[in-house]
Formats: sequence, C-alpha cells, structure tokens
Amino acid sequence: MSERTVRRLIDAVPDDPGAEERAWAIVQAAHAVREPVPRRPPMRAVLVLAATAVAVTAAAVSPPGRAVVHAIRTSIGIAGAQPALFRLPAPGRVLVSGPGGAWVVAADGSKRRLGDFGEASWSPHALFIVAASRNELAALEPNGKVHWTLARSDIRFPRWGGSRTDTRVSYLSQGRLHVVGGNGVGDIALGKAAPVAPVWQPGARRALAYVTSRGRVTVLGGNGHGVRFSALPSPGPRALAWSPDGGSLVLAARTRVVVYNVATTHQQAFPIAGVGAVAFAPDGTLTLLRGRTVLELRNSVVRTLFTAPGSLTGLAWSPDGRWLLTGLPQADQWIFLQRSGGRRVLAVSHLRTQLGGLPVLDGWVAGT
Amino acid sequence: MLVRDAQRGSAVAFEQLFRRHWPRAYRAALLVVGDAAAAEDIAQESFLAAVRALDRFDRRRPFGPWLHRIVVNRAIDWSRARSLRREIAAEHAPEPQAPEGSEPEHAHGLAAGLAGLAPENRAVIVLRYLLDYTPGEIAELLDLPRGTVNSRLRRGLDRLELSLREESS
Repeated sequence: MSERTVRRLIDAVPDDPGAEERAWAIVQAAHAVREPVPRRPPMRAVLVLAATAVAVTAAAVSPPGRAVVHAIRTSIGIAGAQPALFRLPAPGRVLVSGPGGAWVVAADGSKRRLGDFGEASWSPHALFIVAASRNELAALEPNGKVHWTLARSDIRFPRWGGSRTDTRVSYLSQGRLHVVGGNGVGDIALGKAAPVAPVWQPGARRALAYVTSRGRVTVLGGNGHGVRFSALPSPGPRALAWSPDGGSLVLAARTRVVVYNVATTHQQAFPIAGVGAVAFAPDGTLTLLRGRTVLELRNSVVRTLFTAPGSLTGLAWSPDGRWLLTGLPQADQWIFLQRSGGRRVLAVSHLRTQLGGLPVLDGWVAGT
Repeated sequence: MLVRDAQRGSAVAFEQLFRRHWPRAYRAALLVVGDAAAAEDIAQESFLAAVRALDRFDRRRPFGPWLHRIVVNRAIDWSRARSLRREIAAEHAPEPQAPEGSEPEHAHGLAAGLAGLAPENRAVIVLRYLLDYTPGEIAELLDLPRGTVNSRLRRGLDRLELSLREESS
C-alpha cells in the first residue's frame, strides 16, 4: 500500500466536535486553577521595582498588614528566614505532598516520609491519611503503615470525611468523582467533576460538596446519593471549602467568591477575582489567597492580611487558630503569619531540599 | 509564544493551543485504540497531564511532539490493558466505527487493518502518516531503534493493504 493511500484513508476518519467541546470544558478548568508561572521582568525593571516596591506595597495594604510589610525583603523572600524547619510555631502536625512525596511534619520539626504520593489529606480526626499517586489510592496511618490501597487511573484530590465510626473517602479518577468506604470497600463512580478538590462537610453529616464538570457546586449525601444542593454554574471554579460548623460552603471561582448557605440555599457573591485557595480559621474567619496576597473576609468586609514579594501557594491554619501557614515558591520558603499578638512573620527556607521538592500544604492538625 | 502565555495563565492562549492540537491528538488516539469514547478520554487526559506539567515544559521545544508522546503512549497502554481484560471474545467485539465520508469501504478496511496490528505498530503508523513524524523522530518519541520503526511501518502497510484487498473482495 502506498503512503499516499494511507494518508488519504487516515484523513477520512471523522472528527467528533462534541468530544472537543466536552474535553475543553474540563481542560480549560484545569488550566484556570493552576498557578501561572510568574512573569520575569527585564533586569532593568527589576532594579527599579526593587527600589520602589516597599513604598508601593506599604501604601496599598491596610494598617494591620502594613506592619508585616516592613518585614519583607522584596527580591528574595522573607528576611531573616530560618535555614531549615527546626520547629512549628504552634502545636500539631502538618501534612504536605508533592514531587518529593507525602510527608508528615511534627511540631518539633521532625519529618516522616509516607511514600511517593503526590497528594494527601487527613482523615476527619487525623488518625489516618489518604494519599494518592497517579494510579493508586492508599489509606495510611501517620507513621506510614498502609491499611489498604486501591488501583485507579489518574487519581486526584483524595479527601476523607465522616465520623469516628463511619467514614468515606472521595477522590477523582479520570475526571469522575468516586466515593469509597473508609475501609476501602464499596467504591462507586459518580458524575464527571471539575478539577477542584471535593470537600466533606465537617461533623457526622457526611455531605460531600464538589463541582460538576459544568461548574455547578453540588452537595451529595454521604454515600454519594441524593443531591442536597445544586448551585448555578460558576465559570472557572478553583477551590471549595466548608466553614468549621458545616453551615456555609465557599467557592472561589475565576471572577468571584461565593458563599452558600446550604440549608437555606441563600448565596452571597463577592467580586474578588483570581482567588486560588480558601481556608477557614477554626473560629470561622474566611481566608483567601489571591496571587501574592492573603485576604480575610469577615462580615462581608475584605481586608488584606499580608502581601508577599511573590505568588503564594496553599493555606493552612494551625489547630489553635493563631498561625496561618502559606508557601512562597519563588523563595523556596514557608511563611508563618501570626494572627494575633505581635503579628509576627516567620519564614523557613530550603524546603525543596528538606522535602524533596516544594510541597503542597494538605493540612495542619492537632496531635503529636 | 502561545505556550509562554499559557504558562503565565492566559486563558486565550491556552484555548488556541488546545484548539490547534486537539483534532490530531483525538484522531491519533482514535486510530490507536479504535474506540471513540476511549479516544476522547485519552486525548482529554493527555491535555490534563500537559496542563499539570505546563510549568516544567521547556519552551525552546515544540509543544506538539510533547503532547503526541503523551497521547500515543497512553493509547498504547490503554490498548494493552484492554487486551488483558477483554470481557468477550474478540470475534464478538463490536466493529470499529466506520468513518463517514467519501471512502467508507476503504476507511472501514483501514480500521480493520489497524485493529489487526499490535498497539505499538498502530502507534507507529499513526505517528508517521497522521502526525507526519520521520522514522527517526518516531524512534525517539517511542524510545525504539530506528530499524524497528522501519520494520513496523513496512509490516503495517502490508497488513493494511491485505485488509483493504479482503474488504474489496
């Protein structure tokens, strides 16, 4: 057979425009939620910016934020950073995951590597961890002992919810939401989901919130059955979080942040664009991460808590609610922000070396 | 330029990149796996993998071969996995979808001919005649000796010719 004939036959294979549009809906959402690579300004601009950045930033932030700005060295991260993570500033354990695997970091700074897992999260009472590599879901104890594993393809966003006696694990596999029992049994596949981490309602109610592939925030019963709540689509969904009392659900989307009251279906939208991560403090205060800024949303008022010299990634509150942890990848640093008292800013450097790559923050929980 | 802008978060640039590369990525997957739904999943997952790795992508290199390597390798993996977990006898499996168009019989023969090849050989044919890579480039993409690529191409063409003859008779 001639090459020309083969090419002609291959050209005759039909396309499926529907497939392209379906895929685009998923893929564009995935692109929207990633953190863009920072634009590298020309060298001359860097010099000018370095001279003016402190003044500009200080003028822009609110009075509470102004104090911490003085602690910032604009070009290479936070000044006076510790060269290694010697201890956490508050009790508890931090779970992280990323290119270097999943790790549990204890309050005394000791670190335990759990394995080659790119994502992980705590169980509701921090007795277990659910972790995922590309094609494996695993339930482990914080000491690394594996209880069960499940082979599925393209796993993302493993999350564990429920009470002490009855738990469920959710995850996405090939873009489809799955729920499996906390013992690894009874895995069921549910609808197509947007690439946003599903979240379990705190407490024993076991409702699961996720974003459908069409951008609808949806709350399901704990077994994945029964739609309890479904919102209108929000373009570019990026992050979801429940309030600690389980009464409110927050969605960060491309152009706004929406707070839903699931019981009354009332919703309140705030035109805050570009929020990439959300986290509730234990007292219910909502914290938002937008580029290089940490914002606080309380009583419908937004204020700046902190502005960094580069894009920040991840938010995790200490269990006592006194410290907020975020990452500054450009400087290879973690930044601990004290919420009350002296509003101190502590930084730790060389995380890539210590954790085999810059990790994602998966949660800071009580216990040792 | 598009890749750089997409890395920096431009939705417009990323859509252009997607629209430019989707048709061939989907068609490549379809020709290797012979199953439209699986091809859609494979092409979609390949783009998602590309998004996840976009920050690490070296902009000095072309985007297409990077994506095509992901697509073709996933399609090969899928085909191998299916052959291991086949639930019904091959002769009872549904025929690959016949393409609509000017040459339905020959196109059907193409699908049948491709279905008769091992996934790795189908991938070589697709890379050469759909995606227009040279044998040397295919060898690099699939991590194969160039001689193996050439022999697979030759065997693939012979097999396709045989299928088309059987189809016409």
